Amino acid sequence: MRRRIFLASAVSALAGCGPIGTALNGNDNVRRILASVEGLNHVLIGTRGLAREYRDSDVDRHFRVNGFAAPSDTHYTDLVARNFVAYRLIVDGAVERPQAFTLAHLQRMPQQTQITRHDCVEGWSAIGKWSGVPLRALLDAVGLRGDARYVVFRCMDNDGSGNLYYESLDLHQARHPQALLALRLNDAALDPDHGAPVRLRVPTQLGYKSAKWIARIEVVGSFATIAGGHGGYWEDQGYEWYAGI
Amino acid sequence: MKVAGRRAIYRYPLLTRASHWLWVLAFFVLIGSGLQIFNASPNLDASDKSDPARRVLAIGSPADGVGTTTIFGHPFVTTGWLGWTDDGMGEKSAHAFPAAIIIPGYQDLSAGRRWHLFFAWIAALCWLAWLISSAIKGNLREMVLRPSDLPKLWPMQAYYLKLRKEPPPHGIYNPLQKAAYTSVLFVLTPLVVLTGLALSPGIDAIANPLTVAFGGRQFARLWHFAGMALLVGFFAIHTFQVATQGIVNQMRSMITGWYQPE
Repeated sequence: MRRRIFLASAVSALAGCGPIGTALNGNDNVRRILASVEGLNHVLIGTRGLAREYRDSDVDRHFRVNGFAAPSDTHYTDLVARNFVAYRLIVDGAVERPQAFTLAHLQRMPQQTQITRHDCVEGWSAIGKWSGVPLRALLDAVGLRGDARYVVFRCMDNDGSGNLYYESLDLHQARHPQALLALRLNDAALDPDHGAPVRLRVPTQLGYKSAKWIARIEVVGSFATIAGGHGGYWEDQGYEWYAGI
Repeated sequence: MKVAGRRAIYRYPLLTRASHWLWVLAFFVLIGSGLQIFNASPNLDASDKSDPARRVLAIGSPADGVGTTTIFGHPFVTTGWLGWTDDGMGEKSAHAFPAAIIIPGYQDLSAGRRWHLFFAWIAALCWLAWLISSAIKGNLREMVLRPSDLPKLWPMQAYYLKLRKEPPPHGIYNPLQKAAYTSVLFVLTPLVVLTGLALSPGIDAIANPLTVAFGGRQFARLWHFAGMALLVGFFAIHTFQVATQGIVNQMRSMITGWYQPE
């Protein structure tokens, strides 16, 4: 009898995981304690070293499309229809020389190519060949002011409820040699589904950091007053700002 | 000390008992939250990047109302258990593992990750604290399976199966216990820790050879899942043995430390 009770309780303990987890997850203090390790992971792992670079033969020819759908407003469809000649990448905020870059200007800057793996937070990964302007080259072109702390990427896509996608990196992450403003994927100009005309690539962190359809790069001292205040669209939904794990 | 009029021995020091029970808690949370994370991409590929051609396990729902589990390309209908399951909101839908065993008990990847990454620290620190204290006290010697134990494995199993009257001579732990503890504490636990680390793009950038050693990122995810499944197997055998070999004595010894030999 005792044995049966013991085994039954072991089995029901497993099946109780969901409901108990749900109840505890609703508690703010519990969530705060759980989130406390993010800072520790950020300090211990951080952004060090270089993501592995692959060979041409490793590339996924049909790179998986994920996240929000390409913007469907007339502003964006007009940009696509006219091959992005009217596109301007605005770089402003805590910078010495705010500037609006045309796509042609970005294409004339020294280009970098990387074949890196994109690790999605969902658990899948894909390898793409990305070319574009190293983010640090762009930041050097506009010059950072002394109060600059974070680089915020403002995007053209939204979640269907009007909330625009955005992301952010600190200056150390933004100056990482593989942080890239990609203009091309797999030897062709970015197509609308993959974030045309300019998207970010941050191969040392999870895929949601690699924002697509970037309209503006704003350098700030703090992102606390932007949208939900957590430094990114998914961060505002509870995902980690430090996405290196 | 005497229990029920017979001599008892102090078998488990406080740190062993505390780390054992904390590890049990972390084990449940890590499995529940890990299955939550798995549900976000319910495929396991023996490759670096995702690759359907090298898919070992896929749990999915080919049509509404149908759940399938595909192992090495062979599909099995698992409706209600895997693929098409209770979503925790009173409906059935296309979710790999059912809501009753995932943490939290509905689809929420970000919360699952928070639980998983927090309790990963708890489990790893528990294991490390136990390992260091046991190494200092010299208890590890009695637990680790040695080549000289190998010939005794079958005689011990034969004794359990009542094919043999006496167990082979052994120390505090018999050869089968040593085999179980060695595989869990020195093989499976390091495996799930290292494969978990290999999944992190930040750690991959620092220590790519670690990811490569497991066959790449998706392969590391497969090893991580397999390590979990083997630990669940150990858990099942372990609880069965505790339940069948003097449950009161066994539970008391892991709670108070005092074990009463036969």
